[in-house]
Formats: sequence, structure tokens, C-alpha cells
Amino acid sequence: MIVNFTTVAIVAMVCWALGTLLSILARRTPALKIPAFVLSLGGSLFMAAFIAFYWSILDRPPLRTLGETRLWYAALIPLVGFLVEYRWKIEWLKYYCMALAAFFLCINLLHPEVFDKTLMPALQSPWFIPHVIVYLVGYVLLAASSVTALHNVYLQLRHKGNDNGESVSHYLALLGFVLLSFGLIFGALWAKEAWGHYWTWDPKETWAFLSWLAYLGYLHAWRYKIDRSKLQWYLALSFVVLLVCWFGVNYLPSAANSVHTYSQS
Amino acid sequence: MVVVPRRLFQPPWEFREAALFTAVAVFAGFAFQYAASGQGVALPHLPFNAIALALFAVFVLSVGLGFKNNPMVKWFGGIPLGLCLIFAIALLSLIGGVVPQEAIKPGSLSALLGINQIFSSWPFALAILLFLANLGLSLSWKLVPFKLKNLQFILFHAGFWIALSCAIFGTPDLQRLVMKVDEGQESNLGYSMESETPQKLPFSVFLHNFSLEEYPPQLFLYDPQSGQPLEELTKTTTLVHKGVKASWKNVDVEVLDFLPYALPGKNGVPEPADHKAGISFAKVKISSGSAQREEWITTGSPMVDTKDAQVGALYLGIRAGTPKAFRSEVTVHDDNGQQTMATLEVNHPINFTDWKLYQMGYDQKAGRWSQFSLIELIRDPWLPAVYLGFFMIMAGNILFFWNGIKRTEGAS
Ligand code: HEM
Repeated sequence: MIVNFTTVAIVAMVCWALGTLLSILARRTPALKIPAFVLSLGGSLFMAAFIAFYWSILDRPPLRTLGETRLWYAALIPLVGFLVEYRWKIEWLKYYCMALAAFFLCINLLHPEVFDKTLMPALQSPWFIPHVIVYLVGYVLLAASSVTALHNVYLQLRHKGNDNGESVSHYLALLGFVLLSFGLIFGALWAKEAWGHYWTWDPKETWAFLSWLAYLGYLHAWRYKIDRSKLQWYLALSFVVLLVCWFGVNYLPSAANSVHTYSQS
Repeated sequence: MVVVPRRLFQPPWEFREAALFTAVAVFAGFAFQYAASGQGVALPHLPFNAIALALFAVFVLSVGLGFKNNPMVKWFGGIPLGLCLIFAIALLSLIGGVVPQEAIKPGSLSALLGINQIFSSWPFALAILLFLANLGLSLSWKLVPFKLKNLQFILFHAGFWIALSCAIFGTPDLQRLVMKVDEGQESNLGYSMESETPQKLPFSVFLHNFSLEEYPPQLFLYDPQSGQPLEELTKTTTLVHKGVKASWKNVDVEVLDFLPYALPGKNGVPEPADHKAGISFAKVKISSGSAQREEWITTGSPMVDTKDAQVGALYLGIRAGTPKAFRSEVTVHDDNGQQTMATLEVNHPINFTDWKLYQMGYDQKAGRWSQFSLIELIRDPWLPAVYLGFFMIMAGNILFFWNGIKRTEGAS
């Protein structure tokens, strides 16, 4: 990738690690709360600054390759953790989020990216940014929902009641579903302009539809009299479908016919 | 409390009956597909498909409203069946998302079951039809009597009902044709995917000019035996500009000079030329061990030979960059005297009467020098209805988002 991505990634990860350490210490020494938050947030701000810088030297939004979208996840996922702590007073989610963000950065460090300025004509569209950003934020929320659900499952297995956790995973899934719906429709409207038809059952579209259906199913099951603690399993697993949609599609036999052949990495 | 398990088919029906029903429906769909020797569903054209859809909608709504309290109808419009159908559609889509959707040898089992064309197969059509019935019933109960608090529900469910039903019932009326026009020529013939014989269009397209812009060329090293770029280098393609340096194994390359548009000149030194004729030249310095040399290499064109530099057993070359933009300046006119001049470009289609024209492609071998343009022509009379559905879903989404955020305050 570029010269100093390694530095930025390491600085961000160090920020998150120190932030985590200080947060844990802050349970005993409340005075550490603020420096802990500043450090954790700092990690995301470094990533955000890097994205802005990278955008300016690329002359195009860094949203094209999977590696580039991972930069955004790394910057945004911890923010969800902070938001959840702020709104629902749930502290633990942010640790998972920072760990997940660090994981994304590590993938990028292990697979240095192409320095490629080109953007194929179909991607040069005003729809490009809203479509991808909406999906990105949606995935971030659903990742957080899935992690929360997993944590709920873990608590259930240890027989601890946890209503608040269940409502957090639910609302994250709900907001994520809203963004998936927007992403899907924006994608369809864009496809009409770029490729002539709004829906062609292209493998990428099919998988996006499948992940949308998974969450649609969840929302209706939640509405119906289904044991909500069992649905935590469902939520935790739905994310697998999203993961396939997100980077698994490239490896499926059906991918050969896809128009969405973005560079892999 | 003692819970007596409900027996299968003992009312009120729920998930098990719904799952069984859905499974039977999907199975019947596959059986039907097989019986029809793999022939998919053929829907009628306008106006018959619109009439069929309207009748279906009226039927579902009147059953929903007329038999509101019938337990069977309730079950048919309920969430358990809805969930099972969502699951069935997801499973069928999963087949479509994993198995390549393409023409295969007729007579094979996948072809007979429609696995390779799952989205126009009988099981899929049946699942969608039942889904529309189920969704329509649940909708009828929230529509009448109308309450403002049901608005979000109505926008989502009616929006999806409209978008899905019109997209599916409208498929036969979707026309997608491709037209090839030569520069300075006119055409009114479009080719479809299905047939070799062209279709005559109600208008003609005259191509004034086709032009293509490229990104800067890429620098790469290749093996003359295979002609392929070295595997480890394809990932490190480097856009050429003055001052670019690259090194591979023990070879260092520096671009000393770069002329994006030039033609060969005297003494092997290229001279700048205009955009139309010029090709890209790069002066590269190649250092391998202690040996060093400078050389002009070029992308070449149909008129000028490509020139690469030899590096040991390999060659260093530059190739025309990937297309950045391509456009066709056209005049479209019909017999009624309607006429439009426009520039077609990817992502910038134009409308002409009820057709939409898209820049699709060009002569890829000739690249920048392509003498023709491929234009895709699309007519989809059902589009406004589908978009209406989309906008309703988006409006429902906004409400849902808003309510979701608001409700969280109560939850904390
Ligand atoms: C299979 C057919 C469907 C049936 C029978 C069905 C039925 C229902 C019912 C009964 C509710 C609860 C409404 C309430 O309590 O006010 C609901 C909620 C909802 N439905 Fe559906 N629905 C179906 C398909 C869909 C589809 C295709 C969409 C998306 C476009 C959708 C989106 C929603 C949303 C967003 C909610 C709100 C969930 C919530 O408030 O938590 N539904 N649906």
C-alpha cells in the first residue's frame, strides 16, 4: 500500500490497546476514564485522518477494494462500541469492537494493497459513495449486533439474565436492517443507470438479497412469539451470511458471471 | 403449568403446518418443472400480465377482508407462513447464488429441475406467488380500517408487494437490445440475447464520434514464452508517469521521461503528437546488477508496433491503461420527427420516447481506435411501478429508523 500505512495502523492499534488497558484500570480509578476514552477514540481518529489523506492522494474515494473498505471498518466499528457505551451503559462491546478493528488492520498489514488510481467507468457515479457508505455502516452495525448476540448467548450458557443485552442486539440489528434496505435499493437504482436493469440476480446481488432476507426473517421472528433468547443464536449466525456476501462471493463458482468483479485482496 | 403439545394440524395452525406446506409447495414446484422438461415459467405480455396481476391483487385483498376471522385465512396471512416462505425463497436464492446461472446441456438433472435458471423456475415462481398472497393478506388487515400508526407497516409491506409483483409480472415486457453503430453511420437494428435475427426499432441512431479516455499505461514485466505478466507482478502494476520507480527481484526500473501522446521520430526519439493519433512512450532506465541501460518503450497501436525492453530472459513493457471513460456522440431520431442529440456515456444513459439508451461497449481490440460503438437499448414499461415500490420501502425505512431510535430511549 503506501509507505506509512504500517505506521498509522500500528499507532491506531497501540491507541486501542492502551485505551482498553486504561478503561480496565478505570474501574478502580475513575479519573482514568477520560484519558482511556481519548486514547481509544484517538485510534479511530488516526484511521479517519489516514483515510482522508489516502483519499486525497488517490483522487478517488478509497472504497473500491476490500482492503480499502477494511480501513473504513477499522475507523468506524470502535465508534459503534463507544456509542453503545454512551447510550446503554454497556462497556464490554467496545473491547470487542476495537479488537475487530485491529483484526481488520492486521489483514491489511498482511496483504499489502495495490496502489491503484484507476476507477472503472461503471463505478464513476454519484451513487457510488452513498451506496457503499450505507452498506458499510450497515455492516458495522450488524457486526456489532452479532457480537452482542454472541455475548448474550455466552451469558445464557452461564445462566445469567440479560434483557438489556438482548435489546441492544435487537436495535443494532434493526438499524442495520434499515441500512441494508437502503443499500439494496440504492444499488438497484444505480444498477439501472449503469447496467441498464435494476436487478439481474447477479451473484453479488443474490447474496445481498439473501443477507437482507436473513435479517427480515429475524425481525419477523422477533415480532412473533418466539423466545427472544433463542433468537440471539440466529442473530449471531446471520452475520455469517453477510460475511459470505462481503468477501466470500468472489470465491463461489457463480462468481465467474458477476459484473461486480472488484479487485480482490 | 402443564403445556400440552399441540398435535400437527390441530388448530390454531402454526410453524409446523407452515413449514410442511412450504416444503410441499417447493417440492411440487420442482416436480412441475421436471414434468415440463425443465421449461421455466412463461408469463404473458402486456396487457394480460397486468390484468392477471390486478385480478390476483383483488382476489387476495377480498379474501383477506371477507374472511378476516377464518382461522385458515388467518394462518395463511400470518407470520409463521411468512417466515417459512422467506426461508424457502432464501434457500432457492441460495441455489442461485452458488450454482452458476447459465445455459447448460438440456436433459441433465439440473436443467430438468431448473437449478441453472432458478429465478425463472416453477418452484421459485410458486414460492413468490404464495409469498405475495401471504403478504397481501397481512396487508389487507392493516389497510382496512386505515390507521396512521400502521403507516410504517403499510409502506414496507405494500412497497415490497408492489416492487416484487411488478418486477416479476413485468419481466416479459422488459426489452433489452444491443445495437452496433459504426462511426459516421446510422442503425435501427437491435439484437437480443436470445435470437440471431435483429429486431427493427422505432427509431435510428447516428454515431458522430466515439471516443475513449484511458488511465496512464501500466508498467509490467512479462515472460515472452507465455506472454503473461509474472504472477507476482500482476498485483503490483504501476501507473506510468515521469519519475516512477519500480523494482522486481534484482531489476530496478526508473521512468526517466513519459510522453502520453507521441509518435516515433528521428533517431528513435519520439515526438509529441495529438491525442487522436499519439501513443504513449516511456524512457526507462533499467539497472540489473551493475549493468545499466536506457531505452524508449511504447504501448503501440493498430498503426505503430509495440516496443518492449529486454531484461534478461524477460521483457519490460507498458500497455495502454484501463479505460477511464468512453462516450458516443449520437443523434437519435424517429419517423415522427422527434430528434435528440446527446453524448452517451457509462452511467449517463439518455431517454428517447419510452426507451433508454446506454453506452455499452466498443471494439475492445482496437481500444481507443474503435470504429464502432455498442449501445444498449432498454424499454421497461413496468419501471415506474417498481420504483414506486422502492420509494415506499425507503419511506417506511425512514419511519422505522426514526421509531427505532426513539424507542431505544424507552428501552434504556
Ligand atoms: C411474508 C410476508 C410478510 C408478512 C406476513 C409480514 C407480516 C408482518 C407483521 C404481522 C408485522 C408486525 C406488524 C405490527 O406488529 O405492527 C410485520 C412487521 C414488519 N415487517 Fe413484515 N411481513 C412480511 C414481509 C415483509 C417484507 C417483505 C418486509 C420488507 C420490505 C417487511 C418489513 C417489516 C418490518 C420492517 C416490520 C417492522 C418490524 C418491527 O416493528 O419490529 N415485512 N410484518
